Amino acid sequence: MLTRTDIATPTSLPAEKPVVQLDGVTKRFGEAIALHEAWLKIVPGEFMTLLGPSGCGKTTLLNLIAGFLDADGGEIFIDGILVTETPAHKREIGIVFQNYALFPHMTVANNIAYGLKTRGIGADEIKRRVDEALALVKLDGFGDRKPRQLSGGQQQRVALARALVIRPKVLLLDEPFSALDKNLRASMQIELKEIQQRLGVTTIFVTHDQGEALSMSDRIAVMSAGRIRQIAAPQDIYRRPQDRFVASFIGDANVLKGKLSAVTDAVAQVTVGSLSVEVPAAPLAGLAAGADVDLFVRPEHLVPVDGDGGPAAPSLAGTVRTQVFQGGHVDLYIDLGEHAAQPVLLRSSAALAPSKWQTGDVVRVRPVSADLVAFPKQDG
Amino acid sequence: MKQRPFIGWFVSPAALVALGLAAAMAAILQYSVRAYVPGSLDVGGLTLENFTALLRPLYAWAFWGTILLCLLTATFTLFLAYPVAYALVRVRSKALKSFILIASVTPLFLGEVVRTYSWMIVLGNNGFINSVLKSLGIIDRPLQMMFTTPGVVAALVHVTMPIMVIMLAAGLSHIDRNYEKAAESLGASPVRCFLTVTLPLSMPGIVAGFSTAFAWTFSAFATPQLIGGGKVNTVSTLVYQLGFASFNFPFAASLSLAGLVMTFAVIALMKRAMRPVERLGEQ
Repeated sequence: MLTRTDIATPTSLPAEKPVVQLDGVTKRFGEAIALHEAWLKIVPGEFMTLLGPSGCGKTTLLNLIAGFLDADGGEIFIDGILVTETPAHKREIGIVFQNYALFPHMTVANNIAYGLKTRGIGADEIKRRVDEALALVKLDGFGDRKPRQLSGGQQQRVALARALVIRPKVLLLDEPFSALDKNLRASMQIELKEIQQRLGVTTIFVTHDQGEALSMSDRIAVMSAGRIRQIAAPQDIYRRPQDRFVASFIGDANVLKGKLSAVTDAVAQVTVGSLSVEVPAAPLAGLAAGADVDLFVRPEHLVPVDGDGGPAAPSLAGTVRTQVFQGGHVDLYIDLGEHAAQPVLLRSSAALAPSKWQTGDVVRVRPVSADLVAFPKQDG
Repeated sequence: MKQRPFIGWFVSPAALVALGLAAAMAAILQYSVRAYVPGSLDVGGLTLENFTALLRPLYAWAFWGTILLCLLTATFTLFLAYPVAYALVRVRSKALKSFILIASVTPLFLGEVVRTYSWMIVLGNNGFINSVLKSLGIIDRPLQMMFTTPGVVAALVHVTMPIMVIMLAAGLSHIDRNYEKAAESLGASPVRCFLTVTLPLSMPGIVAGFSTAFAWTFSAFATPQLIGGGKVNTVSTLVYQLGFASFNFPFAASLSLAGLVMTFAVIALMKRAMRPVERLGEQ
């Protein structure tokens, strides 16, 4: 679990004035705590992703920032101004909803102009800015259409243009890609990221899709059960998960049964069979040498050791249980016996794999990475 | 498509009712073109006299008065029912939702006569409203509410509310809450959000509710008869007087038919006039 100071002063964060700052924001629905003391600072131009499974509190957090929900505790600042009590329509936030929520009774141009009209901007200026926004999302000439005449991808562009045209202090994206098919999703992600970087607009993106989160974000806040578990850059989230939930939610992970053999301030030594590896000590704080730990190894960090003539490096023996051809690679599931409760997953280049192993073959594997982490053993 | 054998059995009761209604309508149509024989329940030969008589000022005024009554009732009902329907759709608490629903449909379950008599007790010269106003010293002499158009409208609004609430709520429940959230996030105050988003999108419900309220009021009988007390003439009270006080069945029949045609005409006209407005709310 993170402490308050870990999150409030992450080392990677530039000392810029945050655009969005949450100080211990809490939200309850009846008895249930939907969000537990969220501490978060988002710097100008940053693309921050709230990532977690459904029900983790990410949408609640988004609604709190937008002003659609009232916080039960804590304070929210936008651009240095306290907005905890400010109604949504005065927060100057742009939102793209999951279903886009384009006004069906208005043309595309009027949808985009809506936020400009509420600001009392003159007709000429509105026309200029609407055209500009349409060009930004590559929908020039679509102004007179109705939303229902557009495809899903086009509707999403309009929603984005409508949110951006008001030059919001922060752009909120609520699972905007989930309604799009896979190919369109990938191209929209790239396009959105380009636009976001070009405009330098501070963005908060809510998703349950880790691939989306890893590819688009400057930083990711991983959430679970109403708590922010870790806030870090995508690489750090993947390579140095701070807790067990983050390690298993992001990417695939093999769990090996290990023992803590030695621990210093920064580094701990974990043994699995004849293997001994170094892991960060922080997640194991409080454990003494000899304690049972779970060692997390990414599939791509597990390599087969060649038969007899291989290096003398220590390795673990296992049996090939299943091979799954995946096109570019083959997923090998290897039973490590007493060292792992579940067969471990190893990714092997497809060019090598098919002829090399048969189901039932004995192979030796070892982890090859500096990015191994271990957590206290979990029962069950 | 393959015919399902049981469908015929399912619709036959409804078909029987429709057949009965069609027969009655045919009888009325037949009566409307017969001559009236004073002092007799039998009717004379074929004539169009009944329809030319409709053009007499008394009846023309009754039609005009009825339309006005219907428009007033539908309008007041709309304004009173909209907030109730909105609350019904948007309230989060299930208990409160049920309460609003039950409270708003109760008038439908009261018998028409019972409900109308309660209104007479409320509106009468020594009734609830007058005695309260008198005891508060606001008025010296009772306000005349019985036997007036406002009195009739009040009672009609009461019974039209449930239909209007339900039709508006059906329309409002189709409006995605995210439209309102989007408008708010774009800087629209709650009032502006309502006027530019919620209201236009609820137009189909408003048009449906208003037309239904209109037709519903046009056919109302007991309320205008008892509270109007003969001073507020509507098409249906005139039909009753002609048919069952003067036993002039032919003229009562032609008046009924004219009322029916009028209702259709007005609703068609209203739909036509509201089409551009209704289009605002198209999904």
